[in-house]
Amino acid sequence: MKIQILAFLPELLKHLFRKTATVDYPFQKLVAPEGFRGTPVLYPEKCIVCKACVRDCPAEAIEIVPVSETEKKFKMTIHNDRCVHCAQCVDSCPTDAMGMNKEFELAAFDRHNLKIDYVYVKSTPVPRTPIATNTPKTEN
Amino acid sequence: MEEFTVPIGPQHPALKEPISLRMTFDGEVVKHVDVRLGYNHRGMEKMAEERSYIQNLYLTERICGICSHSHTTCFAQGVEKLMEIEPPKRGLYIRTLVAEIERVHSHLLWLGVAGHEAGFDTFFMYTWRDREIVMDILESISGNRVHYAINTFGGVRRDISETQKQTILDSLSLLKQRTDYYANIGTTEPTFVARIKGVGKLSKELALSLCAVGPTVRASGIKSDVRKDDPYAVYNELPFEVCTADTGDVLGRVVVRVNELFECYKMIEFMLKNLPAGDIAVKAPRRVKENEVVSRYEAPRGENLHYIKSNGTDKPERLKVRAPTLANYPATVEMLKGCFIADIPLIFAAIDPCICCAERMVELVNDKNGEANIVSFSDLKKLASEQYKKCGNKPEPVSIAKQLEKIRRKS
Amino acid sequence: MDILKTLLYLFVYPGLLFLLIYSTFCEWFDRKLYARFQNRMGPLHTGQSGILQPIADIIKLLFKEDIVPEKADKSIFSALPVFGLAIVCTAALYLPVWHYSTKVSFNSFPGDLIVVAFLLSLPTLIFFLAGWHSTNFFATIGAVRVLTMLFGYEVPLLLALLSPAILADSWRLSEIAAFYQANPFLLLANILGFCIAVITLQAKLERVPFDIPHAETEIVGGVFTEYSGKKLAFFRLLSDIEMVVGAGLIATVFMAGFPGGLWWGLLNFVIKTMIVIFLLSAMRAACSRIRIDQMVSFSWRYLAPLAVLQIFIIIILKGFLR
Repeated sequence: MKIQILAFLPELLKHLFRKTATVDYPFQKLVAPEGFRGTPVLYPEKCIVCKACVRDCPAEAIEIVPVSETEKKFKMTIHNDRCVHCAQCVDSCPTDAMGMNKEFELAAFDRHNLKIDYVYVKSTPVPRTPIATNTPKTEN
Repeated sequence: MEEFTVPIGPQHPALKEPISLRMTFDGEVVKHVDVRLGYNHRGMEKMAEERSYIQNLYLTERICGICSHSHTTCFAQGVEKLMEIEPPKRGLYIRTLVAEIERVHSHLLWLGVAGHEAGFDTFFMYTWRDREIVMDILESISGNRVHYAINTFGGVRRDISETQKQTILDSLSLLKQRTDYYANIGTTEPTFVARIKGVGKLSKELALSLCAVGPTVRASGIKSDVRKDDPYAVYNELPFEVCTADTGDVLGRVVVRVNELFECYKMIEFMLKNLPAGDIAVKAPRRVKENEVVSRYEAPRGENLHYIKSNGTDKPERLKVRAPTLANYPATVEMLKGCFIADIPLIFAAIDPCICCAERMVELVNDKNGEANIVSFSDLKKLASEQYKKCGNKPEPVSIAKQLEKIRRKS
Repeated sequence: MDILKTLLYLFVYPGLLFLLIYSTFCEWFDRKLYARFQNRMGPLHTGQSGILQPIADIIKLLFKEDIVPEKADKSIFSALPVFGLAIVCTAALYLPVWHYSTKVSFNSFPGDLIVVAFLLSLPTLIFFLAGWHSTNFFATIGAVRVLTMLFGYEVPLLLALLSPAILADSWRLSEIAAFYQANPFLLLANILGFCIAVITLQAKLERVPFDIPHAETEIVGGVFTEYSGKKLAFFRLLSDIEMVVGAGLIATVFMAGFPGGLWWGLLNFVIKTMIVIFLLSAMRAACSRIRIDQMVSFSWRYLAPLAVLQIFIIIILKGFLR
C-alpha cells in the first residue's frame, strides 16, 4: 500500500478561500424541499370526524373531543410536542383534511405552547376527489 | 505500573451512547475487557405489543436514527409475509433504492466518525459535508432527513418523479468523485493509516465462531451478506458484489465500507435507470391472522433480525428486535484484548456501534452475591430522591442493594 | 527613565498586556484558519468576524464554577496554572522584539537561547504535575504521556535550534537574529532545521498530530480532565502564549528575527509568527493523531537523526565560509 505524506494538504489549501459549506443558521436559512414533512395542519372545512387520524397516529398526538353535540361542533387538538412528523394522519385521512406544512422550527419554552386547537363544525362526508398520487390507504 | 481497572463509559467522549467497558490496563495495554450493558432501556418491544401494526411501523423506525429505514423495512417485510401480500415491483424498487441511499449515508457517517476517533477532524468534517448531499436526496424523496417513513405495508408511500431521478443521478456523480478521493486519503494518509493498520485484528475463524455480522465479519474475509445469501426485496435482480477484505483490522473495515459505497452507487444507478412502471403500493389489511415470522435484513451495520408473532388482532403479540450491534459485542471484546488505550475508541467505533438499538432491558445485579433485582420505576425514583437528600450536593458511594433493602422494609 | 522603560517592557510591550492580546489574536487566527481548512466558518459573532471569541471564552471560563477534586493536593493543584502562566510569560521577555539597548541586560545575554528553550520545556513539567495531582485516572495517563512525549521531541528541538546558533557563532538570540539579518542567504542552510523545529513545536504545544496527552476520544481531557473555571482559563491562556513564544523563537532563530525598531519590529514579529502559526494550523488540519509509541519512534528514528544531519551540514558550511 502506498503512503503519501501530507496527502490532504492540496485539498486543504484549495478550500482556504472557497465558500464555506456551512450556513450561518439563525440568520441565514435553507429552504425545505417540496414535500417536506413539517407540522401537521387541519383544514377544518373538510373534516368529517371519522377519527382515522386519531386511531393511526403512532404518537397519539391528535385528539378529537365533541364540544357541542347539537351543533355537531368538535375540537381537534394537535399536540405538536408529541408529534413525530410521520404524516400518517395525512395518509389516513379519507377527505384530505390533514396536511403538512413546511414549518420545522418548533422549539418552545413550554410544551403546552405547542398545542394547536381547532374548533369546527363537522362537515358532511363528500366522496373523495381522485388525486394524482396513488398514496395507499389502509382500510379498516 | 501495576494493573488497574477503569470504567470507560457510560459517559465518555469516545462513546456517544451509554455503555460501560470495564477495562483492565497494564500501562497503556488493555489486558481484560468486560462489556456492561443496560444503561439505555426504552421499552420499545413492550410498547409494540400495545400498538397497531401501522403505528408500530413508525415505532420501529425510531429504534435507530441512522438505520431507520432498515428497521422499518425489516418489520414491514415480516408483517407483509404475515398479511400474505406482495408489494408491487415499483414499490420494492423504491424501497430498495432508499435502503441503498441510506447505506451510503451510514457509511459516509462512519468514515467521518472513524476519522474523528483517530483525531482526524478534517476528514470528519469533509465526509460529513459530502454526506449532506445524500441527506438532501433522502429529504427530497421522503420528506425528512432522518426518519424517512417511506415504507408502508404493501409498498411505499411516495413515488419518485422523473426530475427527482435526474437530480439523484446528478448528485451521484459528485458523490462518486468524492468517495474516490476519500478512499485514496483513507488508505494513503500516513498518520491515519498508522492508526488503523493492524489494529483490532479479528481472524477469520474467530469472526465466524463469535457470529460477527456486517462489515466487521466481511473485513475478516467472510462473504456474509443477507442481500446475497437470502435475497429480499429486489436484490436478486441487482448487480452487486459482496465486498470483503482479508486483513481483519480497522483498515480492512474502512476498505470494506468504501468498496460497499461504490457498490451502492452502482445499484442506485441501476435501480433508477430500470425503475419499473406501475403502482407503488397495494392495500394492506388491518388485522393479521395468527402466525409468526422472522425477517432478515442487511442493515449498513450488519444483519438485522425481527421476530414478529401475530394473534389475529391488529396488534402484534410479540416483537423481538436483534440489532446488528448486539451480534458484534463478543467480537469487539476479542478485538479489544491486547490493544493500546489509544486504539479503544477506534476499535469500538469500527463495529459502528449503535448502543441504544441493541439495549433491551435493565437488571440490577449485586456484584457480591450475583443476586439480580428487577427494580420498578417508582422504587428507582424513591431510591434516587432518598440518596440525593442524604448526600446533598456531595455524591457519596452508597450501596444500591442496601438502599433497596431499606425501601423494601419500609413498604 | 530606565526604570520606566523596564516597567513598560515588562507589563505593556512585549510584556504581559501585549502577550495577552496577541495570544488571543493568535488563537483566533489559528481557529479561523483551521475552520477554513475544513470548509467551515469558525468563530463569527463576537467582534469583527469573531476576533474577540478567545477573549470571550476566557472571560466565560473565569466566571465558571471552580472545582478542586477532594483527594487532590489543593495548594499545588491551584498553584500550577499560575506558575505555568508566569513561566511562559517570562520566556516571552527574552524574544528580541524590542530591545531598547544593545548592552547585555536582564532580557538579552549570551545563552538566552538555552534559557528560552528551558523555560519552554517547563510547562510540560507543569502539565505533568497538574495531571499527576488531579488524582484522576485519565489525568494520570495524560501526565505519563506528557512526560513520555517530552523525551521524544525535546532533543530534536534543541538540536534544531542549535544549528543556526552554531553558524551565527552566538548563543544570544539578538546576535543570532542580527547575524542572519546581515547574511539572509545563510537562512537557506537551515531549512531542514526549520521543518524539524516546526514539527517539534507542534509536539510541544500538544496539537494534532501530537495531541496525545489530551486526546479527547481516548482519555477525555487528559491532564486537564479535573481542571475547570479559572484554572482551566489559565491553562488555555498558557497554551496560547506558549504558541506565540514558540513561534517567536522559531521566527528569531530561523527567520532572521524582527529588525526595524519599535513599529517595524512589531510588524515583523506579527507577520513572522503568523507564518509559523499558519504552518502549525495546516499541520493540525492535515494529520490524524498518532499513538504515543509511534510518536516516540518517529522522533528518534527520523527527527533526531535529521537534526544531527542539519548540524553536520552547518559545521561543514562553516568550514567553507572561513
